[in-house]
Amino acid sequence: MIRRCRPLLGTFVEISVPEETRGASIDAGFVAIAHIQRCMSFHEPESDLGRLRQSTQCECVTVDANTVHVIRIAQQLHQASGGTFDVTIGRALVRDGFLPRVGLPHLNRFTGTMDDIEIVDDTHIRAHRRVLIDLGGIAKGYAVDCAVETLQAAGVTRGIVNAGGDLRVFGDDPQTIHIRSGDGGLTTSLTLQNMALASSCNFADRRRHRGQSLTPHIGTSRAPVLIDETISVMAPKCVIADAMTKVAMTDPSRANRILAAYDGRVLRYDERRAA
Amino acid sequence: MDRSTLSMLALLGAPTAVYANAYMSVEQAQAAMFPGETMRADVRQLSGEQISAIKKASGEAPLGPSLKAWRTSSGGWFIVDEVVGKHEFITFALALDAAGAVKGVEILDYREAYGGEVRNAKWRAQFTGKRAGAPLRMGNEIKNISGATLSSKHVTDGVRRLLATYAIVLAHA
Repeated sequence: MIRRCRPLLGTFVEISVPEETRGASIDAGFVAIAHIQRCMSFHEPESDLGRLRQSTQCECVTVDANTVHVIRIAQQLHQASGGTFDVTIGRALVRDGFLPRVGLPHLNRFTGTMDDIEIVDDTHIRAHRRVLIDLGGIAKGYAVDCAVETLQAAGVTRGIVNAGGDLRVFGDDPQTIHIRSGDGGLTTSLTLQNMALASSCNFADRRRHRGQSLTPHIGTSRAPVLIDETISVMAPKCVIADAMTKVAMTDPSRANRILAAYDGRVLRYDERRAA
Repeated sequence: MDRSTLSMLALLGAPTAVYANAYMSVEQAQAAMFPGETMRADVRQLSGEQISAIKKASGEAPLGPSLKAWRTSSGGWFIVDEVVGKHEFITFALALDAAGAVKGVEILDYREAYGGEVRNAKWRAQFTGKRAGAPLRMGNEIKNISGATLSSKHVTDGVRRLLATYAIVLAHA
């Protein structure tokens, strides 16, 4: 296999494909990911999210079709998870220091929730109250899917796209995947084919504030979710695996019920410890 | 056991302390980032003054005085450099076009350390200055890791530092 790695989406994106693959096809896979980064970066003022947060109340904003697609999936998962999966978490993440303030002097003006986001059509979104959307919990998985589709369209029949731990194996070759434990070591391995796997953990990503541990993962009743052990979710689409790790952290059995509709599931504890 | 004994043990080859991933050689990256072009090595030694200016402009100090640069036949630049993160040691290549704009970034080599050793500065120091392809006996290649997302911030900082280096050292070459 040829393996290439570029810094994208704030992490390391790895594309592994058979030796005979043309360089141009691999480049196209990375270009697909870079496009998602440009659309869905929280940090860039010119991204779709940047322009959405600068828009006035009820202004109709033109966005990329991919952004609408991701927000549609986010709405479905928000509803299915009873609100646990929430991409309007941006305000809390900025407040707690997990995202930069990016020119936001008045955080308390962003009172919008998922209910305030209206998808007008395939390329237009309107927020009925100003809202801080962060797609950090779903866009990496979506970008992996886009890269896989681009590679397949270029005639690549098998390979792996791994965006900083959210990965998808495509093709019939079984591939060994290692899972990183909460403290950074590698404990588990498993074999996947035609399947995506996403993992989440916040053991190393916490802040102390007034005696409380804050994490970028916020659960029911707005309390931070502390996860020392890695939670992994598998599903055919990486966007689902990525997003559902956030639900699985809070409520694994609910996550499994939702994932059944997407042919996915949460990795069981014994599967995580084995190998 | 004191800390120096521990770090000696790590140097002697504690198993699976480092996971190494070699993605591209320097030559492969040159061919992929500047297809069909020829390269002329133009290695510079940065002066103390230049290092201070780079640090002031980018907020990042170069890891060493040696700048591994190549001039391409179209007037672009190909630079190989390294960054040291909290748990990782990364060699990367930056391609600049003739106007100094970023054409691309490729990770050449990624070495990741786990466990208590990574917090030991002496243990980490052995990686600083290592070139791509340098032998790392205690490593083994682990592919396809799923886990909490690793930040590529150190590479982003490294690219910013090299852009400052270009402006201060190479742009008027």
